[in-house]
Amino acid sequence: MSTENIIEIQKLNFEINSNKILNNISLSVKTGEFVGLIGPNGAGKTTLLKCINGINKADGVIKIKNKPIQEFSDKKLATDVSLMHQNTTISFPFPAIEIVMMGRYPYLKRLQREGKEDYNVAKKNMEYTDTSKLENNPITEMSGGERQRVLFAKTLTQETDVILLDEPTASLDITYQEQIFKYSKERSKQGITIIAAIHDLKIAARYCTRLVLMNEGEILADGNPQEVLTTKNLSQVYGINALVYRNRITGLLDIYVHKQDDQKRSEKVHVIGGGGSASGVLRELYERGYYISAGVFSHGDSDIGSAEVFGIKHVVEKPFSEISDQRNNENISLVKNSDLVILCNMPFGNQNLRNLESAKYAQRLVIVEDDLPETRDYTNGKATQIYNELKKTAVTVITSAQLHEVL
Amino acid sequence: MEVKVTKPASFIKVNIQKIGVIPAMLLALLVVMVAGTAIGAVYVPFFDTFKIILKNLGLIHNTTFTAGQEPIIFLVRFPRVLIAALAGTALAASGTVMQGMFRNPMADPGLLGISSGAGLGAVLAIKLGLAAASIYFMPIFAFIGAFLAILMIFLLSYRKGKVPVLTLILSGIAISTFIGALTNIVLTLSYDYQVKEFLFWSTGGLDGRRWEHVQLVILPIVISVALMFVYSRDLNILLMGEEEAKSVGLNAGRTRTILLILISVATASSVCVSGAISFVGLIVPHIMRLIVGPNHKILLPTSAIGGAIFLVVCDLISRVVVIPNEIGVGIITALIGAPYFLYLLLRSKKEGGMVL
Repeated sequence: MSTENIIEIQKLNFEINSNKILNNISLSVKTGEFVGLIGPNGAGKTTLLKCINGINKADGVIKIKNKPIQEFSDKKLATDVSLMHQNTTISFPFPAIEIVMMGRYPYLKRLQREGKEDYNVAKKNMEYTDTSKLENNPITEMSGGERQRVLFAKTLTQETDVILLDEPTASLDITYQEQIFKYSKERSKQGITIIAAIHDLKIAARYCTRLVLMNEGEILADGNPQEVLTTKNLSQVYGINALVYRNRITGLLDIYVHKQDDQKRSEKVHVIGGGGSASGVLRELYERGYYISAGVFSHGDSDIGSAEVFGIKHVVEKPFSEISDQRNNENISLVKNSDLVILCNMPFGNQNLRNLESAKYAQRLVIVEDDLPETRDYTNGKATQIYNELKKTAVTVITSAQLHEVL
Repeated sequence: MEVKVTKPASFIKVNIQKIGVIPAMLLALLVVMVAGTAIGAVYVPFFDTFKIILKNLGLIHNTTFTAGQEPIIFLVRFPRVLIAALAGTALAASGTVMQGMFRNPMADPGLLGISSGAGLGAVLAIKLGLAAASIYFMPIFAFIGAFLAILMIFLLSYRKGKVPVLTLILSGIAISTFIGALTNIVLTLSYDYQVKEFLFWSTGGLDGRRWEHVQLVILPIVISVALMFVYSRDLNILLMGEEEAKSVGLNAGRTRTILLILISVATASSVCVSGAISFVGLIVPHIMRLIVGPNHKILLPTSAIGGAIFLVVCDLISRVVVIPNEIGVGIITALIGAPYFLYLLLRSKKEGGMVL
């Protein structure tokens, strides 16, 4: 991969009827990068893409391969930069192959007929996008996914070093949504530079090597997905309370979004859980704005992930160890200081038996019971005995689905 | 697995049919042209007509015919049929190009104010007595009028390298109405016989068209229509929209400007020798699109031939319905075209969009 900047944008301004759409945009893209343009509607993503391929005439400098785009002829530019538009409505029953062949236009002289070579390029790309069998089908009779793949084949048939994609999968079923990004990722590994305006932040984080966050015509953040997709950035741009975390199941960046409304509550709630039993409870409490603490979790427990995402104070014990005196005391003091303690539907073993015992110190105890304690008891009945004692002191015993009733 | 809508079989069949359409239509054109020449007040057998045409074109020799047949066929009827074919070709090809470049099935060369401009030119030629002086004056005046009208409309609509469709159509309506008023002023000040002469011209009269008329317009029409063919690929891409065109390196604004000039030359040439003939540019491309599909590489040539066939047939009808009189061919095209157009409109209401 070369380190040369294939696209160089400096101080780009664009306005429509003295409405500033792009404000002083500067952006350099290296060969082979897969850049995701993200940002809310009206941020200027589409406008920026259209500036790069010359549809929008903007003030400022745009260089492709070190040459300002004004110095390109229309056809020459189209052999270096292609753009797949967001909503190409085609109301004419052209067979797919003819649509794809339109990608050869910039290579053909006025009176030159399409040659065998051109057809070969088109057919190769139709094969690549799995549309060969649709070759003679009218584009008007295709499903959304098929049509987008045909249009993508057309974009590839232009054989450009830079491919611009404007929300290529915005309206597609989940089956097709990621296909074009997979193809694009492969191409970028082969040295094709790709800039895509992407609506879906998770997809953007997954496929792009670099994200550029735009808002109101300006670039707000630029870097790798972890750097750009931060709670702060997303809250600022989208006006939502978004928590960005790495999903432990998929290993991908994930985003949790919730309504940003409830006032903070003063009540303190402590959650006793582990083994993944606390996650849903923590989320529900978080959304309601409680002051939350949790513990004691064993190292590596998925509940720790949840506590981290929601920024909840929590007590952690070393891996595969019994709860130590120190951690137990920390936990008990949190229990004592809380207005409400929730005992989750957790499994009990000798290692975390002290969690159960700490619940005795609760002022108000709510027990979440989805499964009978006997089925979660790995202490030969010891835990069940304590559990049943606790049940007598508990304010209420509910299932997790009923949790909202007591909050 | 995706669910595929399978329709390939029928589509391949259509593709094969399409290849044969052009020779079939050329043959049909030949037949209707010979028939159009043969039929008239004096009937000349079909094959004799054919032979007379070939002989006079220098293609066969040593043939003799009944006295008087040769001049009737070759000097009177054949040039008239040729004019009909040329005008039909020019109008239908221009209509196809306009509908394609504006992605609008309602587009028609008539929108460009060409007819009104030609009308004013024609009525001036009549009023000034020039039409009687030489048969060249009326077509030349009509051509100048047509060209000035479209130039005015074009300049009024031209914005930063683009010609917005709506602006073009609206300025076309305004200019046409204005020129129409000027024409009516001249007509009001004209003698009855002059008004009648104009009326005949304006209803698309092909009566009295001679070889001189053919000579006058054959080159501009053939060249402009041939150049339109060269732009078939561009027209296909323009159907995808202006931005899509730009993405593959096609400058939509410049291409439209060139195409508008070609349409203007073709339509103005046709109108100046045949008068205002409506609907040919609208319905012929429509019918051909239903038969051969939207690809201009085949749609444009078939529409051009189809326009010629349509106008030659309409001209023939206009000559035979009220023998020994005849009515303007424009009346026939309107009588056939308007109901068909309404049929398309009603159909589009049901299907939620105009069929293009």
